[in-house]
Amino acid sequence: MKKIEAIIQPFKLDEVKDALLGSGIDGMTVTEVRGHGRQKGHKEVYRGLEYQVDLLPKVKIEMVVDDDRVEDVIRTVTRAARTGKIGDGKVFVYEVAEAIRIRNEDRGEAAIG
Amino acid sequence: MKIGAKRPSAEDISLALRRRTEDVERQVGGLYDTVLAPAFPDGLAVLAVGGFGRRELFPHSDVDLLLLVDRHHAGERERAAIAAFWQELWDRRLRVGHSTHVPAECSELNEDNIELNVSLLDQRFLAGDRALYEYLAEERLPRFFERQREPLSRALCRMARERHAKHGGSIYELEPDVKEGPGGLRDYHLVRWLRRLRNGAAPPPPEPELAAARDFLFAVRAFLHLAAGRDMNQLTFALQDECAGDEDPAAWMRQYFSHARRAHRAALDEMDAVEEQSSTLLVQFRHWRSRAATEDFHVSRERVYLRAPHRLEYEPLLAIELFRFAGRHGVRPAADTERRLRQYLPRLRRYFAEARPLLWPALKALLSTPYAAPALRAMHSSGVLGAVFPEWERIDCLVVRDFYHRYTVDEHTLTAIQAIADLAEGHAGDARFTDLMTEAGDLALVLFALLFHDVGKAAGAASHVAASAEAAAAAMERVRAPADERRIVRQLIEHHLDLSAAMNSRDLGDPATARWLAGRAGTVEILKMLALVTYADIAAVHPGAMTPWQSEQLWRAYLVAHEELTRELATARIHDPGAAEFIEGFPVRYLRTHAAEDIAAHIELERRSRERGVAVDIRCERGYYRLTLVSRDRPSILASVAGALAGFGMNILKAEGFANTQGTILDTFVFSDPHRTLELNPQEFDRLRVAVERVTLGKLDCKTLLKGRPRPMLPSRRARIRPAVAFDGSASDCATLIQVIAEDRPGLLYALASAISAAGANIELVLIETQAHKAIDVFYVTSGGQKLAPEQETPLRDALLRACAG
Repeated sequence: MKKIEAIIQPFKLDEVKDALLGSGIDGMTVTEVRGHGRQKGHKEVYRGLEYQVDLLPKVKIEMVVDDDRVEDVIRTVTRAARTGKIGDGKVFVYEVAEAIRIRNEDRGEAAIG
Repeated sequence: MKIGAKRPSAEDISLALRRRTEDVERQVGGLYDTVLAPAFPDGLAVLAVGGFGRRELFPHSDVDLLLLVDRHHAGERERAAIAAFWQELWDRRLRVGHSTHVPAECSELNEDNIELNVSLLDQRFLAGDRALYEYLAEERLPRFFERQREPLSRALCRMARERHAKHGGSIYELEPDVKEGPGGLRDYHLVRWLRRLRNGAAPPPPEPELAAARDFLFAVRAFLHLAAGRDMNQLTFALQDECAGDEDPAAWMRQYFSHARRAHRAALDEMDAVEEQSSTLLVQFRHWRSRAATEDFHVSRERVYLRAPHRLEYEPLLAIELFRFAGRHGVRPAADTERRLRQYLPRLRRYFAEARPLLWPALKALLSTPYAAPALRAMHSSGVLGAVFPEWERIDCLVVRDFYHRYTVDEHTLTAIQAIADLAEGHAGDARFTDLMTEAGDLALVLFALLFHDVGKAAGAASHVAASAEAAAAAMERVRAPADERRIVRQLIEHHLDLSAAMNSRDLGDPATARWLAGRAGTVEILKMLALVTYADIAAVHPGAMTPWQSEQLWRAYLVAHEELTRELATARIHDPGAAEFIEGFPVRYLRTHAAEDIAAHIELERRSRERGVAVDIRCERGYYRLTLVSRDRPSILASVAGALAGFGMNILKAEGFANTQGTILDTFVFSDPHRTLELNPQEFDRLRVAVERVTLGKLDCKTLLKGRPRPMLPSRRARIRPAVAFDGSASDCATLIQVIAEDRPGLLYALASAISAAGANIELVLIETQAHKAIDVFYVTSGGQKLAPEQETPLRDALLRACAG
């Protein structure tokens, strides 16, 4: 099992979510986050005065999937979230030691289905 | 049990509750005999408290029991008997709330366990040592409640306010909690407890309306327990469908809300009565407000009363004045005032529909008061808002299930208006939007747009936006609002979803998004108002909806549109072969900010100007004056006219200057007349007009007019505004943008414009705004047809700062 974490542009959320649903992933956690990578924030000008925007609004999607689905999910996310510009986001993949469904204590892959 | 289809009567419900109560009583009595009595021949009594004490045991509610003992028994036998008693009850699947106390503990105020004191308000004897029980119930408790009436009442109020806050403070949740939520059964109980404490004995039966609310809430809660098979009190969408049976769930929910409203209202009235009895400083301050009285109204204990309620019969506008008064002083109509208003509602409704009086100025004044949000809420709850705007009655308690909003449509709307008030206070929300409020022009129009932004939801169409805009336009016409303000409100409603659509589904870094938003808003003024409408609309979805993340996204959407509008102001010009020659080359903004009749008047003015090179029109509009000037362009016209106006003692609130491709300029000045010179001396109108014409043509130096004018008083040091001058070379393709923020004073525009002219620069375009004593002046400036060179900026900045300082 792997946990896939994707940080994407907010306006791409619906597209990514639909693409994931289309490829059979229906469980995910979506969080509104702020951060920056190489995009580094930028200067905004308002009323002639500059101010620095350090952290940009992003959306984080997290899901846990079977090992054999990982590549498929990564492809789906990157395709749907890509605009080609700096700031499109990142995907991280983590090893998951165990998953337990609280309701009935299902474990492992049974818990993530 | 379908409440809607086969609605059980109040008798059915109370019978069902009584039956369960009796059943549990029997079980407890039996267990007492077999388990407790052998160990406690005396010195122990079993008491029913809380809901059980009131004989209101719902199908799955807890059974609250209190074991009253004469002393805490340390013996093994007694302790084992008590433990066995509780265990046996649990084994019978009764959820028992239990406690064991001696009489002294029951009759002392326990701040950490106020629930024990409260539960004893509903106690009764079940089994055991009756003498011990009587000692508590007849000697200790009456004295205790008498002595501790005030602190107990206050604690009950505090707990109720916390409970309300936990549920978002509103009864109008789409999926309400019928027990703990505002307007839930707990509110009914609160009313009974507070009355019980005040009376010193059981209060008389509740008034019929409150009793009807109780019966309805009882039936719903009993139904929820049966349907869920547990102690479930949330009226979810699925259960609403079940309750409604064959009825429309939304219509059924309206019944629910009308009952909840009664319970909530009664609870608030009782709480107010308690909190006003306590002699805190706050209350003394509130009494001080009693001085805020007029010949129509007086204030007592924070409530407004009509001095002569019968005047509503022949003076319906008094009702609007009442809420304006409430909005100005932050007070609420008294219960008696609300009753009187309701009594005259049919008359008010008929009058507003048929006579169509000039209501707009009074309504606008109401919307401009510091406490407009609570005043509108009170206006809604008394029914007057619906009498003035029947459109509003259609969204009263309206449930629209979109799994996004948490409140009914009316509540969402009033919460949105409150969000603007909170922003103004500066306590809550994003300070950038608070600042935006000072720049956003007429906030009364923002509030009115919010008041109607979702009215179209009553029509049930896929998109409510067009229906809401239509309803607002019709309503504003009926109350005789001027056409330009109707246009602004219509625009705000038509575009109230644009910014949120952009922030959620468009790439804010894409220039196309900026162009789209700018095109939708049209002008910077509308954009600012839209940003506030959007902020309020999101914040009113539920208490946690406006996250810092959402706020940042909205601000970015606003910024990209603002930058685009600022940029296009100087570059986007009118090139329409069909348009009059005169407006050819004006910024596109000109068309967006002027109605067809304004443009026709300008073309006529231009025709008149051909003969003498200048034409001036001055007219009075709703408390201020508008001067329109058409002339051949020549250096420092703007500064000269500003100087002439200042020379006559006028205060410039707003100014705009445009130039067309033939070198003809159109300048508009909106000004106030603080000394009422023009109003009291009609002949001065002409003198001012002639003076403006002469300074425009260079035949009169405005310095001679300014000589001898007294220097104005400056505001207090705390309210002073530090002048700021910012240059932006990138905002426009062909001019340098200079923004000056300064403390407004007569002659400021003259001083600034003179400084720019003296530096050899030409003012291509100017937008002047004054908010209170803060002036925000934006100049688009060129030098020799080009943007300013960097080395020109520093001396000009210094000159402008000197001009700001006076």
